[in-house]
Amino acid sequence: MHRKFWIGALTVALLISLGWGFNEYRLAGDYRLDAENNNQRAFNDFASHLDQLETDLAKGDVASNPTQKILYLSQVSSKSDAALKDFAQIPAEQIGLSYIGQFLVQTGDFSRTLTQRVAGGGKVSAEEEKTLRDMHERLMPVNQKVQDLIVRMGTENLVWTDPKPTIRKRLGFNGTQIAEAAADGNVAPSKSVRSGLDQLDVSLQKLPPISYTGEYDTRVVAKPLGLPTGKVTRDQAQVTARDFLSKVGFTNNTPVFAGDSQSALSTYTWNYKQAYLEVSHQGGVVTFYRDQRSIEPRKLSKEQATSKAKVIMQSLAWQMVLTSSEDFGAYIQFDFIAEKEGVRIYPDKVRLMIALDNGQAVGFDAVPYYSFHHSRTLPAQMPMDLAVGKLRTDFQVSERRLAVIAKSGNKEVYSYEFRGKYQGEEYLIYLNAATGAEEKIQRILKTPRGEFLQ
Amino acid sequence: MKVRIRPWGVLVIGLIFSIALSGIAYGALGDRLLGKGSKGQEVIDLQQKLEQLGYVIEKKDGKFGSKTEAAIRLFQKERGLRVDGLAGTETINELRLLTGQSTNTTGKAVGNKNVDTNLLARCVNAEARGEPYVGQVAVAAVILNRITDPAFPKTIADIIYQPRAFSSVDDGQINLPPSASASRAAQEAVNGSDPSGGAVFFFNPDKTSNKYIWSRPQIKKIGNHMFTK
Repeated sequence: MHRKFWIGALTVALLISLGWGFNEYRLAGDYRLDAENNNQRAFNDFASHLDQLETDLAKGDVASNPTQKILYLSQVSSKSDAALKDFAQIPAEQIGLSYIGQFLVQTGDFSRTLTQRVAGGGKVSAEEEKTLRDMHERLMPVNQKVQDLIVRMGTENLVWTDPKPTIRKRLGFNGTQIAEAAADGNVAPSKSVRSGLDQLDVSLQKLPPISYTGEYDTRVVAKPLGLPTGKVTRDQAQVTARDFLSKVGFTNNTPVFAGDSQSALSTYTWNYKQAYLEVSHQGGVVTFYRDQRSIEPRKLSKEQATSKAKVIMQSLAWQMVLTSSEDFGAYIQFDFIAEKEGVRIYPDKVRLMIALDNGQAVGFDAVPYYSFHHSRTLPAQMPMDLAVGKLRTDFQVSERRLAVIAKSGNKEVYSYEFRGKYQGEEYLIYLNAATGAEEKIQRILKTPRGEFLQ
Repeated sequence: MKVRIRPWGVLVIGLIFSIALSGIAYGALGDRLLGKGSKGQEVIDLQQKLEQLGYVIEKKDGKFGSKTEAAIRLFQKERGLRVDGLAGTETINELRLLTGQSTNTTGKAVGNKNVDTNLLARCVNAEARGEPYVGQVAVAAVILNRITDPAFPKTIADIIYQPRAFSSVDDGQINLPPSASASRAAQEAVNGSDPSGGAVFFFNPDKTSNKYIWSRPQIKKIGNHMFTK
């Protein structure tokens, strides 16, 4: 009796667990299929966008009529954006810079720059036409190889990423890995989509970099422009750090050295209590400061904090104008901009954060200033009245001034800044001060924290 | 015995009851002081607003418990309000203000305008929880630096969800609600702060053996993270 009961119970348990297992297996299969379909879609989309990109590049090159040129070049940029988006979705086993991605970004970026130029009535130079052809030349084998991978996907059951190396391989019994083999130049047929793309990456990496001007051609300033000359020693830097800390309210402080930072703007870093501070190797100036203490309940109004901020900037020997602020609750962040003969220099920015409990500075950031500041010779500008005439007649101007603004690709433009309203929306419109051409439009929104430019 | 019915009396009592009931049932946030033990729709509203700003309460159940109180205290602390753990007028107005939509000049609502910042905050939360605040801003800055680097995708979502780019995406931590400090760090990085010194990678030297990432030129270490080119 007992035995029968147990056999029965165990059988039921076994059946339930089998059923459960089968259901889980089926679900996992469904998820795998979903993921596989997504990957396939991304990869096929990638191949198709790449193919269209290749064709459009060729057409953009041959087109001589400006409207046709604009059409194909703008298609090149949108197709390369799309291809980049697909490419970023193809499975990978590890991180790393990708030359295919970089190539796509540059192609799109370059053609976008050309489109804007041609649309503005400009011309494409012979050199730029050559760059465009270069890009096409480089794209053709990439396109070919990707199409080949698609074909092999159907015929050879390529997997997405290389399987994890087996113990045998890890012990070194299996020769070199594919990526290394590719780097050596003897290209073995890839076993996975990713290794095929890695091979392409390596072959692109060997080519000389494309030189052109666009939004992403270079990263942020390679070398800071505004640092004073001369290296300082660590001891000198400590004096600077101590001086700065005493000016923001730490009497009798001794900052502790916390290491060096190595970048274009390399610094000595210092800690004192919960404060963190950086003093540049070159010039020995404070570039960044942050006090991470906990802030007590507010005692200061925004106006009081604003005047505190101005006093602190004075004591740190900064002569700048306050242009904007953002409310973070326990502290307010103020942006100060350099002004020279009534011209606002937006790239030369210093940021200060004031705690609302005691009015002390809890943050300071002069990295933008030291990165971009240099002596500028501003070109002759057209008269203000003429510039106003270039605006829409129904744009109601409320503020007007001259300003140097940053444009994509690390360029600066000397321009007229007009703040005003149109159709119930508020905008900042920037017109080139010399030519009157529209350089930039920003829409002003009011967020709970302050004004927001979009 | 004769039972005297007073129609006016019944009506008055009924009216008082129904007003009191509707007060409880439809009480709007800010009508009364909320504290530990408070219940009702207002508490749910309060909890929703707190969660929206990144103050995590596990269950939005309409009961003002110790989790809600802790969230209120943290919120008050971070916003520089008096820390008492009670949701009074000042606290609720501050919450209202911060969870409100952005508007254009004529006051037309245009949405919260923080879609990207929100995703960025979730990534910062998942990757740099427990790091110093400056380190959290730096992590957000790394993601933004990738946008301007030709070797990376061009939108925040594409960068974060790029396969194998962030371990927190692979293990699902990206889907946790962001902490308030992560949200603030993301906001600050979007505003242009970059304590990472232009880095496009970061890693924990104690936990990573990946050769590629070790080969990148190192910029600086903040907290447990090494930031690299």
